Amino acid sequence: MKERIALTVGPVLYYWPRRALLDFYAAVAESAADTVVLGEVVCSRRHEMRPDDWLALARDLAACGKEVVLASQALLESESDLRGMRRLAQQDEFMVEAGDASALRALAGRPFVLGPHINVYSQPALQEHARLGAVRWVAPVELGLDALALINPPDARVAGGPQGTTPVATEVFAFGRLPLAFSARCFTARHFHLNKDECAFRCIEHPDGLRLDTGEGEPFLALNGIQTQSAAQHCLIGDAPALRAAGISRARLSPVSQHFGDVIDLFERVFNGDADARTAAASLHALSLPGGLVNGFAHRRAGLERMPA
Amino acid sequence: MTTASSPFPALPPLPAAVRGFIARLPIRPPSALLAAALNRILLPQLPADAAAELAGHAVDIEVRDLGVRCRLILRDGRFHSAPDQGPVTLRIAADTASYLRLLRGEDDADRLFFERALVMEGDTEYGLMLKNTLDAIGPLLRWPILRS
Amino acid sequence: MPASSQATATPPPLRKPQLVCPAGSLRALTLAIDAGADAVYMGLKDATNARNFAGLNFDLAQARDGIAYAHARGRHALMALNTFADARDPARWYRAVDAAAELGVDALICADTAVLAYARDHQPQLRLHLSVQASATTWEAIEFYRERYGIRRAVLPRVLTLPQVDQVCRHSGAEIEVFGFGSLCVMVEGRCALSSYATGQSPNTAGVCSPPSAVRWEDSAAGVQARLNGVLIDSYAPDEPRGYPTLCKGRFDIDGSRDYALEEPTSLNTLSVLPQLMEMGISAIKIEGRQRSPAYVEQVTRVWRAAIDSCAAQPARFGVQPQWVAALGRWAEGQQHTLGAYNRPWR
Repeated sequence: MKERIALTVGPVLYYWPRRALLDFYAAVAESAADTVVLGEVVCSRRHEMRPDDWLALARDLAACGKEVVLASQALLESESDLRGMRRLAQQDEFMVEAGDASALRALAGRPFVLGPHINVYSQPALQEHARLGAVRWVAPVELGLDALALINPPDARVAGGPQGTTPVATEVFAFGRLPLAFSARCFTARHFHLNKDECAFRCIEHPDGLRLDTGEGEPFLALNGIQTQSAAQHCLIGDAPALRAAGISRARLSPVSQHFGDVIDLFERVFNGDADARTAAASLHALSLPGGLVNGFAHRRAGLERMPA
Repeated sequence: MTTASSPFPALPPLPAAVRGFIARLPIRPPSALLAAALNRILLPQLPADAAAELAGHAVDIEVRDLGVRCRLILRDGRFHSAPDQGPVTLRIAADTASYLRLLRGEDDADRLFFERALVMEGDTEYGLMLKNTLDAIGPLLRWPILRS
Repeated sequence: MPASSQATATPPPLRKPQLVCPAGSLRALTLAIDAGADAVYMGLKDATNARNFAGLNFDLAQARDGIAYAHARGRHALMALNTFADARDPARWYRAVDAAAELGVDALICADTAVLAYARDHQPQLRLHLSVQASATTWEAIEFYRERYGIRRAVLPRVLTLPQVDQVCRHSGAEIEVFGFGSLCVMVEGRCALSSYATGQSPNTAGVCSPPSAVRWEDSAAGVQARLNGVLIDSYAPDEPRGYPTLCKGRFDIDGSRDYALEEPTSLNTLSVLPQLMEMGISAIKIEGRQRSPAYVEQVTRVWRAAIDSCAAQPARFGVQPQWVAALGRWAEGQQHTLGAYNRPWR
């Protein structure tokens, strides 16, 4: 019997209307996902959901049997950004996923999750963060699976948690447009010739980001406000044996606006059931956004490459 | 605008007839001359690790306003003129004034490159290594000695 | 001082921030010192620093000579050890920490908690600066590193507005260093995987961005195409100025219109806000460009030395001199200047 790879629904990285967001999570509540990460991690100007709305949603999802994690913003700039982060750190109803070093300071001494934008690239770095109380590590997207196995070995996992006795779980970014970079500048606003301060929230028009193509018409990147993503969707559905061999016990699926229920279902059936990975990959390919599917990062290659599993 | 005045103001272009004549000369004599000069000026200053990395690659050097083209290779610890045929790793082209400014340490290859005053084609990594190596050595030319 | 004279007295001179200049080679280092740098920063010849380019940086003997040159003139030599230790061989970064301590550098600039912890535990006398690659954008983030690793100074990512920089200065227990001039990173440093997405190598993993080994220039009748691992980053008409194909400074299509979608090839230049930065109590101003030539380092250092001295002497009467603008403009990438994030509309 193979060990379960828990499925985590990552935070919605885009700006969706409140109704769309609530409908999305209503569907997630019925899905096979184990964990749901909630919160606005990209842009503090987005306001369809207020902090109390997120908390209420978290309680609803918890009542449906989901483990809920609240994520802090990845790029903090203002005092009000810091206040938002502290507010998350002060509640103890839900575990928090740290988005930056300010959050590490606020969360030290409690069990927490290391988000994918905390730079952990070696075992001693993971040990440093485990000493703060981290119990789960979402690896940086550009790290190969071989590095993940070296950093948190399956047979000798790094000990974390407030007492230093909890083996740290490794979570890998397994599906979705890759969050590649953050900037102070809003690229969506820039495209529409708007200042960031008067952006008119145009990112709400692009539920999966604003696609950027090369001069040869190849989908290359996707602009999501201050975040730059890959246009291609990273997809590790064919890599389950490699994930298990690297000691990875959790897979993060990053929300898309269409067919996300199918995505969760396909990963559940391949990772934790007997479904054929090749058939599932073909189904995901048929559903994919322009740019197709890639998995180069997992194989220590350029992220835009597609390697056979 | 005041920029530092150069002891090498832009040289007047050569008459077309002279340029045509020079361009028709075979590639070997200027290459052999340049190789001899580099063996005397550059080689003694070239660190061993850099020499090892640069060796074995033919480089084309073109002086555009003179219409002169050289092809050099570093092999067996010496610069030589390289055969006209055969692969070239890097092609460099610029005018006399740009080369002189670079050789005197008065200009920056990046800057000349951005402005298209210096063209580098071929293996970008090799070109950068060459540029960085020469930058680290410092000016190869110190004449004419203009002291104020 | 009598109250009557206070009203007319000129304000006291401002404390001068350290001018911290790039040294990609021993020659650049000596020129920077001679041109008035208070400190130079350098890296070793390997992937332990974020400017890991062929032919650049110092071996141990050159580092020793460079540090001696700086110290003999009462200046500081800082070492950048600001990539993230590779999971396959973190000990290489530790050896670089030990080497820096043995060389007697005045401070080590690091980003990785693994490296910071090693330095704290094994070389406690070594002064630590937090590299921009650590992406610490708030005073709380800086405090995290100060409380835990004893960092004495933090280099701010190029993402904050001037009021936000002021806020950080007010609340941080560490000295603050900001970028003054040089090539502009539009992304938060230390949090950009664009280069590894296209090429497999990034600042965090290999100390390089858009590495030259992945660059290909292709000539055609229509001009020149610049590719990064096959991806078309930009095309230039025959007489159009070129840029190095850094991924974020390419021209791309969005909805059928082609433009610099992320950033134009410009340089950051903060001369015009120097008085404000100095009033905030900035401890150091960093010039970018370890990959640029010694000539660039010398000229840019000279301008900034003059500007800082002039601003410190008479802050109220400080004005950006046209000859400074001209000199810096000559060396800037794209020959355009921006205040970057310091100026709100840029964002």
